[in-house]
Amino acid sequence: MKSGDEPIGADAVPPAIDVADVTKSYGHFTAVEQLSFTVERGSTLGLFGPNGAGKTTLLRMLAGLTRPTEGTVSVDGVALAPDDHTTYRTVGVVTHETMVYDELTARENLRFHAGLHGVDDPAARCESVLETVGLSHRGSDRPGEFSHGLRKRLSLARALLHDPQVLLLDEPYTGLDQRSVADLETVLDGFDDRTVVLTTHDLERGVERCSRALVVDRGRIEADVDLDESGAASFESTYRQAIGVDEPETSEAVR
Amino acid sequence: MSSFLGAIYRVLKKDLQIERRTKQVTTTVAVFALLVVLTFAFSFVQTLQSAALLGRGALWVAFVFAGTFGVTKTIELEDRNGALDGLLIAPIDRSAIYLGKVLSTTVFIFAVSLLTLGATSVFLGYSPSMSTAAAIVGVLLVSAVGFSAIGVVVSILTFRSGLDELALPVLLVPLVVPLLLAGVELTAALESGAPLGGWLRLLTLYTGIVLLAGIATFEYVVEE
Repeated sequence: MKSGDEPIGADAVPPAIDVADVTKSYGHFTAVEQLSFTVERGSTLGLFGPNGAGKTTLLRMLAGLTRPTEGTVSVDGVALAPDDHTTYRTVGVVTHETMVYDELTARENLRFHAGLHGVDDPAARCESVLETVGLSHRGSDRPGEFSHGLRKRLSLARALLHDPQVLLLDEPYTGLDQRSVADLETVLDGFDDRTVVLTTHDLERGVERCSRALVVDRGRIEADVDLDESGAASFESTYRQAIGVDEPETSEAVR
Repeated sequence: MSSFLGAIYRVLKKDLQIERRTKQVTTTVAVFALLVVLTFAFSFVQTLQSAALLGRGALWVAFVFAGTFGVTKTIELEDRNGALDGLLIAPIDRSAIYLGKVLSTTVFIFAVSLLTLGATSVFLGYSPSMSTAAAIVGVLLVSAVGFSAIGVVVSILTFRSGLDELALPVLLVPLVVPLLLAGVELTAALESGAPLGGWLRLLTLYTGIVLLAGIATFEYVVEE
């Protein structure tokens, strides 16, 4: 059964995310081809793969920012549709871009996004997420003055504003120093009951964080690994095999 | 409905807040418009006898250049840091984002147009009567709405598709020709007391059509 084709039974709890036969093409180039998988509620899924594998395109489709050429993406049992934006209430997104305005302060940016998401008591919620990401003392500063790490924290604060059930993170560790990574890990630890999908090139950290991994290459799923059962070393070997590169190159590329 | 209007208001308020702080759009566009008026003054004042002809020429040339520049600036704001994506992932109707951007762009273009009208009076001796000037302000307002309605769609299309900024005027100007034609002819008719009928219908109908077309197509324009 494809998502959105038939109603889900009253007793059945739909998966947090259901990707059914999804393809995304740009002209003759196919970025993602016939992908199907589900993500259970409360689990953390890692999307691994080399540059240009289609991870970001896939994540953008999960966020509703890119429309699949074929297939459906469902969140909480509801297929993402262009004319129905209510599903976005349950999704928080962090991409390479901060999605904030350099001309407004961090607090003003959050207040603006809180308003768009219909957050109750936006002032209190903004202070709360600023504290969560460790930016309370920089709330009155503009993101243009922030370092890369601080900008990423603000981006995370924006994504957490509406208390989403599903968090999508594109390369969350890239460009972060050790302290910022530790802070991010603390935030994600507090996200235990939520569903997280992240893309990363950091195999070690990704394996530690995720309960399941999909290895994507040239727009296809090359491996689907239960990380609770398979160890880090075993996954690295699977990863190498899936993307078809020699060990030394892989080790260099993924670290 | 209230959340739809609320979203329009928030996008408009955010743009005005940023503009109040940076004055990036109005200052640069106003300087640009004044340069057009001054160029007209230096070039034609000695040779052209009709201040009315000179004034409305400068007014509409400044309008189209300043409008193009203004719409680029307001959309550039959404292009930086992927800010537009931040709006698109919000649980709001995307046409509310469109209307918010059209409103803020209209405010900027209209404000600069008023300044340009004043400048034509000072530098070119263009002095329509109070009632004519008020009617011209109305024409400028409707034209600014139409220009913004087209400009927001075309400039987002340009930015999202990775086209060069230079492609914007090439795509935009042919689409705003009916607005300019109606605007120039209406200004002339208002000064001479000629009937407005056909041109006024063209201006209002075209503005209405492009606004509705923008609302209907924005969802697809922002899609990748």
